[in-house]
Amino acid sequence: MYYLGVDVGSVSTNLVLLDGHMKVVEKIYIRTKGSPIKAVQEGFKILKDKYNNVKISGVGATGSGRHIAATLIGADAVKNEITSHAVAALEIDRDVKTIIEIGGQDSKIIIIRNGVVSDFAMNTVCAAGTGSFLDRQAERLDIPIEEFGDYALNSNIGVRIAGRCAVFAESDMIHKQQLGYNKADIIRGLCDALVRNYLNNVGKGKEILPKVFFQGGVAANKGIKAAFERALGFEIIVPKDYNVMGAIGAAILGKEMAEKERKTNFKGFNLADSKFESNSFECSGCSNRCEVVKLIENNQEIGCFGDRCGKWSNRVKSILIK
Amino acid sequence: MIVGIPKGLLYYKYYPFFTTFFQELGSELVISPDTNKDILDEGVKYCVDDACLPVKVFHGHVAYLKDKCDIILIPRFMQVRSREYICPKFCGLPEMIKNSIPKMPRIIDKPIYAISRRKLYPWAREIGRIITKDKKKIKNAFNTALIKQDKFKLGFNDDSQQLTVAIVGHPYNIFDNYVNMNIVEKLNRLGVGVVTEEVVEDSLIDEEVKRLYKRPFWTFARNSYGFASNVYRENKVNGIIYISSFACGIDSVVIELIKERIGNFPFLTLKIDEHTGEAGLDTRVEAFVDMLGREIK
Repeated sequence: MYYLGVDVGSVSTNLVLLDGHMKVVEKIYIRTKGSPIKAVQEGFKILKDKYNNVKISGVGATGSGRHIAATLIGADAVKNEITSHAVAALEIDRDVKTIIEIGGQDSKIIIIRNGVVSDFAMNTVCAAGTGSFLDRQAERLDIPIEEFGDYALNSNIGVRIAGRCAVFAESDMIHKQQLGYNKADIIRGLCDALVRNYLNNVGKGKEILPKVFFQGGVAANKGIKAAFERALGFEIIVPKDYNVMGAIGAAILGKEMAEKERKTNFKGFNLADSKFESNSFECSGCSNRCEVVKLIENNQEIGCFGDRCGKWSNRVKSILIK
Repeated sequence: MIVGIPKGLLYYKYYPFFTTFFQELGSELVISPDTNKDILDEGVKYCVDDACLPVKVFHGHVAYLKDKCDIILIPRFMQVRSREYICPKFCGLPEMIKNSIPKMPRIIDKPIYAISRRKLYPWAREIGRIITKDKKKIKNAFNTALIKQDKFKLGFNDDSQQLTVAIVGHPYNIFDNYVNMNIVEKLNRLGVGVVTEEVVEDSLIDEEVKRLYKRPFWTFARNSYGFASNVYRENKVNGIIYISSFACGIDSVVIELIKERIGNFPFLTLKIDEHTGEAGLDTRVEAFVDMLGREIK
């Protein structure tokens, strides 16, 4: 018995396969590159080759692209990232009290007390200090993102970088670089700035108690982890599957839902070979002029998204917000 | 004479007064439609960049109306309660509009002090004269409009669902469904009922506000803080959601005051701005409801 979790995020699409004991047997990390459908298909191609004859007993979808993914794969549970991340962390360790999650476009803090989420916060409209910003800076400095953290660890003293806004941070970094500071010190300064920004904004007013789990793609960055530890004064834990925790949570929630319903909606791995098309158009039904996306699988409409009134999204019975 | 009334800002709270007043005077009314994409786009196009979303939206409503009427109402709200004021953007609203939107028709911009009948009447008298010379008609229109306004009940008071949430914030963010992305309907669909500040009696709000170290300067601050504090103390709701426009100065103070008052009580701030993608808002709302649901179990 296997359970599948899919997390379609802004930067990466992650798939995990759990066995009956909620152990990860496969994890796949794919760059979304702006096409969530293609990314899910790509993941399914890999899974199909290896697991075509195993029985999938429950499926969950999460991430900002969860609705489109759920329609695509036939998910049993469609859950937001906060709940998914919390569920996954609690599965690993019941004593987790705080989760720091930094992904491609979002950063979150989740406070857990007595095994339930008691508070959370997310970044506001600004995505400063998230993975996509780090990606961009790594690219600009011509450093592979995988080595970004090591550079920070090689520095003994960080250069002060303005962290409030990504655009300000970037100009500040450029100024410092033109003054001749070395890359390592600038990168360590950037890590400190991002952590400072996170703690002052997302984490503002929250009681950050250990154990702290650090999850999401940015947790791979040793420089950020070290900066958090410097700022908080205690160790933070990066779980083994830090970059797919959302997908793990989704798989667990998919299992719960499938058990409750005594069936799964999973459509099978064949979708890897299907031809998907998405068309967007402006609905002229009323003055809202919603931008509607229509999802078509092998010439058949399987779902619509983006309308406010439900005229399109209710047309095909899909399992939106449940 | 055709009077244009933009459906933005405090329209949601005071439209019975304004619409009745002008109708009773015998003028024809045009009211802009509910906020929609075109109105938002027009508003963003004309308005200064630093303004908050509701002010931009108001510009859009004005742009929609400007060629469809002879005179347009830009209410310059100064006060609706004594010794308290409305956000500074309201006092300067007519100037913002005049300097941002070209080819405006005539504007009704006389300051409004709606703290008592006596203080409000001069406004009605002067504006009424633009439309009719009949003093009695103006007086009657004023009286009828006030009665209509008094009878008007705004707000939500739905505690029939499994969970109840208080929605706090400026009325034009709560009642403009385009701006808040249908938040009430979204919550209802998730099994959550909504209550708003209008359901709490004024005297109870005053009682809460007395706890503050000084009386609030802004009426919005008084209402939001008093309401949040009341539902928290009386345990009327499972959680509080504050809808706040990005860059709102009043909210930046009020949110902190509320947080300090309610401690660990579940509280979610939703920042709204020009973006129309709902994924971010959905995630926050769903996660908040999940959290409240788990606490009940």
